[in-house]
Amino acid sequence: MSTLSSNEVATGSMRLGFRAGRLMEGKAPRRLALAALALLLAFLSLYPLSMLLYGSLHTTPPGIAGTFDLSGYRQVFTWPTALLFANTVGISLLKTIFSLLLAVLFGWIISRTDTPMRGALEVLITLPFFVPPILTAMAWGMLGNPQVGVINLVWQRMFGSETPLINVYSYSGVVWHMVQYSTPFLFLFVVEAFRAMDPALEEASRMCGGSQWSTFRRVSLPLMMPAVITAFLLSFIRGLENFESPLFFGTPARIEVVTTAIYNSIHHQSIPNYQFASALSFVIMALMFLLVFWQWRMLRGRSFQTVTGKGYSPRVIKLGSWRWLTFALCMVFFLVSVVLPIGQLLLGSFFQFFGFYQWDMLTLDHYRSVLGNDEVWRAFRNTFLLGFGGASVTMLLGSIVAYVSTRTRWSGRRLIDVLAWLPWMMPGMVLAVGFLWGFAFLPGAITIYGTIWALLIAYVALGTPISVRVMSAAYHQLSFDLEECSRVHGAGWWQTLWRILVALAWPSFAVGWVLTFFGIMRELSASVLLYSVGSEVLSVVLLRMWENGQAEAVSVVGLMMMSLVFLFRWVQLRLIKRYVNAL
Amino acid sequence: MAEVLLENVSRTFGGFTAVDGIHLHVAAGEFVTLLGPSGCGKTTTLRMVAGLEEATGGRISIGRRVVSEPARHVHLAPDRRQLGMVFQSYAIWPHMRVFDNVAYPLQVRRRSTAEIRERVDRALRLVEMDRFADRPAPALSGGQQQRVAIARAMVFEPEVLLLDEPLSNLDARLRAQMGDEFRSLQRRLGITTLYVTHDQDEAMALSDRIVVMRGGRILQIGTPTEIYQRPNSEAVASFLGSPNLLDAVVTGVEAAAPDLSRFEVRGEGWQGIAYGNQSFSCGQSVRVLVRPEDLRVGPISQDVDAAWRGEVIASVYRGARRSLRLRTSAGELHFEVPALTEMRLGEVVQVEAAKSSLWTVASN
Ligand SMILES: Nc1ncnc2c1ncn2[C@@H]1O[C@H](COP(=O)(O)OP(=O)(O)O)[C@@H](O)[C@H]1O
Ligand SMILES: [Mg+2]
Repeated sequence: MSTLSSNEVATGSMRLGFRAGRLMEGKAPRRLALAALALLLAFLSLYPLSMLLYGSLHTTPPGIAGTFDLSGYRQVFTWPTALLFANTVGISLLKTIFSLLLAVLFGWIISRTDTPMRGALEVLITLPFFVPPILTAMAWGMLGNPQVGVINLVWQRMFGSETPLINVYSYSGVVWHMVQYSTPFLFLFVVEAFRAMDPALEEASRMCGGSQWSTFRRVSLPLMMPAVITAFLLSFIRGLENFESPLFFGTPARIEVVTTAIYNSIHHQSIPNYQFASALSFVIMALMFLLVFWQWRMLRGRSFQTVTGKGYSPRVIKLGSWRWLTFALCMVFFLVSVVLPIGQLLLGSFFQFFGFYQWDMLTLDHYRSVLGNDEVWRAFRNTFLLGFGGASVTMLLGSIVAYVSTRTRWSGRRLIDVLAWLPWMMPGMVLAVGFLWGFAFLPGAITIYGTIWALLIAYVALGTPISVRVMSAAYHQLSFDLEECSRVHGAGWWQTLWRILVALAWPSFAVGWVLTFFGIMRELSASVLLYSVGSEVLSVVLLRMWENGQAEAVSVVGLMMMSLVFLFRWVQLRLIKRYVNAL
Repeated sequence: MAEVLLENVSRTFGGFTAVDGIHLHVAAGEFVTLLGPSGCGKTTTLRMVAGLEEATGGRISIGRRVVSEPARHVHLAPDRRQLGMVFQSYAIWPHMRVFDNVAYPLQVRRRSTAEIRERVDRALRLVEMDRFADRPAPALSGGQQQRVAIARAMVFEPEVLLLDEPLSNLDARLRAQMGDEFRSLQRRLGITTLYVTHDQDEAMALSDRIVVMRGGRILQIGTPTEIYQRPNSEAVASFLGSPNLLDAVVTGVEAAAPDLSRFEVRGEGWQGIAYGNQSFSCGQSVRVLVRPEDLRVGPISQDVDAAWRGEVIASVYRGARRSLRLRTSAGELHFEVPALTEMRLGEVVQVEAAKSSLWTVASN
């Protein structure tokens, strides 16, 4: 018992640790903590959801007295709106199919062939995913402009043609811009699935006399199906939520989808039609709910044996000189989706007017005016404040929720899990509409709308499902023994949490943090509804400058933002290499 | 060193009883092993002693201190029980060096740096891992991880050491070596040890006493010799080794020693002398335990307890020994002979049991 006495003389901080640890083991304080967590999560998800329903029945904008009727829904169930839905679904389906084909091709090239420099190519192919879509949207708006776009100018100069080569303000423009983002997203899934496959399964097929092609078709592909279906549906859902592509390339060509319709009926009508926007939001969310439910049903019981993350080293196919072709294919994707837009931003930033590229029009004026623009600086400050604050709060919340749902057997953990996951089905725009109603409904003393807090709350709600996922995956890899062993050998609850769990999970926390930060930096659809004077973020300022025709200033800001993205991506890759792979 | 006392301890999961009213006393300095097939509740019992699982009934005391008594809402947290434990997975923390892993129990107890240094060095020397102190933990082999886990469990000289199948992840040769090493270390330090395994050889080689469990209950507690040679039931007898169990009827009873009876038994086509420590009366059906290693082929000598005649139906060469199966009127007998013994299938041979080697248990 000699060791016990030394415990009794432990220092103050240690005693605190012990007592707090005991607290978490006591039933009543734990229930209180869980209830607080559930309330917080409900405020982030259930509250905007129910306020959305309220708003869809309410005849006047938020905060103005009105009555209740069904006219919002009556407007939703009309032919023009049906066309809207058909447009939305059609565009998303098309872009998902195209990107999946590209992703499978690239996934195969990177994981199964001897194409040179595959490591570097992998980084380059996934890079577009991290660039805020608003930047490439604006760059492509300049590149593919039918009158003054660089691509068309070059085409007409070279071939003496009168008609433009491409016009991004069209259906294909919308789809093309989305494909640039879904391809890297799907690629990440597909390449993992290719890698996680036990090569013995394919070798067995070859031994049984199957050719390379029939082995791919009859063994490899079916094995990858669960992963591919998940990815396909995820990508399709993201296509329905997409805002930037239809806003930039669809709206000028009178192509409307659900997100732009919501935005337009609030922002671009003389009398904002909140009721229709809310009803539309509610319907699209119900649609997403059905999709997610269907996905869950379909994948239930399907085993994910092929994606267990075991480190197989798959058979590499020798392509001979064809490997330069596959190399070129990957490089073309990178050039078109990253280098070309950056080049356009550079070009745009140094000329007086975009589209008129003559030596005597070179200028640094745009840099001067942007650097002297207070509004831009304020937006930078806001974006960073929200990025740091939002990413930290989101990851902290995600870590706690994931801890409760994967590491404890406390009752109520399922509820916590579901509440945190709810925003997953809510597009940023829909959530923002819900919050618009929600903030207006709060007691007068609490003013959130019009402050930077409105954005923070929306970002945290949007980011939480992903942060929970990242942290759950991290916790799942840690055996319970590691924690229990610490407890038996004398460490209290808090000490174990800190010295074992946090110490082991922090690289995932950091990776998740950067991901969330990216998410906040690129966010436009919720921000554009929730910002107000003084709380603008970069994406909103860019959009407003673009709408005012300041394409040149947009290029300057876009370049600055782009450099930051690359810097963060580089740090993230270093971090992953150093810590995540080491464990 | 402390003793451990389990009184009527139970654990239920929902409606399922994993541990069912266990009584066990581990004396100070004793090495006791829980032995039983997988799923019989060994781990659950050990985890209840550690405090990682809450008992649902009974009382557990370590030293004189009651650490767990659900009826009075007593449940001392694991970190307050002053135990050392070796997990089946070893649970070596991958983000720490070997040194930090072993130092952890001392660090959380806020010992001085000098003391930590000295004790960790000593513990690592004890398991011959002092050269690896600065290695990152993931860079260790299975055997090395196991040594580190033992060093960590002993570094603060716990009152009781708990081990859950610590050798099961090692290959056969290393398993035997580590077992012996650990046992001599335990003797030297005199730490009270509760050990869990499903491997009977390991249990017999290491333990002072063995607790045979099945279905959440204790079948028998005793020294390795008692358990092996004097099982109290057919279940215990057949769990250790692969004995022949023959049906027989008692035809005569006489006291051989205090607590030991000598029975005359008769089976189908044979009769003989068997011993036992349960009371059976004439005419009662029993099962007679004959260990394969106690049988030999022979011409009938004068002085045997029993003998059988039968046809050889299987003969398997195993290197050191040859295993034979014999079809007799009493049923199939299997036994072992020296490997080079010539034996043809179909040959009819006579086997006899060594003196005092037959043991009776109740038939069920
Ligand atoms: N947390 C638990 N919930 C439900 N059943 C459990 C739990 N832990 C153990 N059991 C059950 O209790 C029984 C005994 O388990 P255990 O003590 O691990 O067996 P052993 O270590 O002897 O193999 C098993 O049938 C197991 O399925
Ligand atoms: Mg076990």
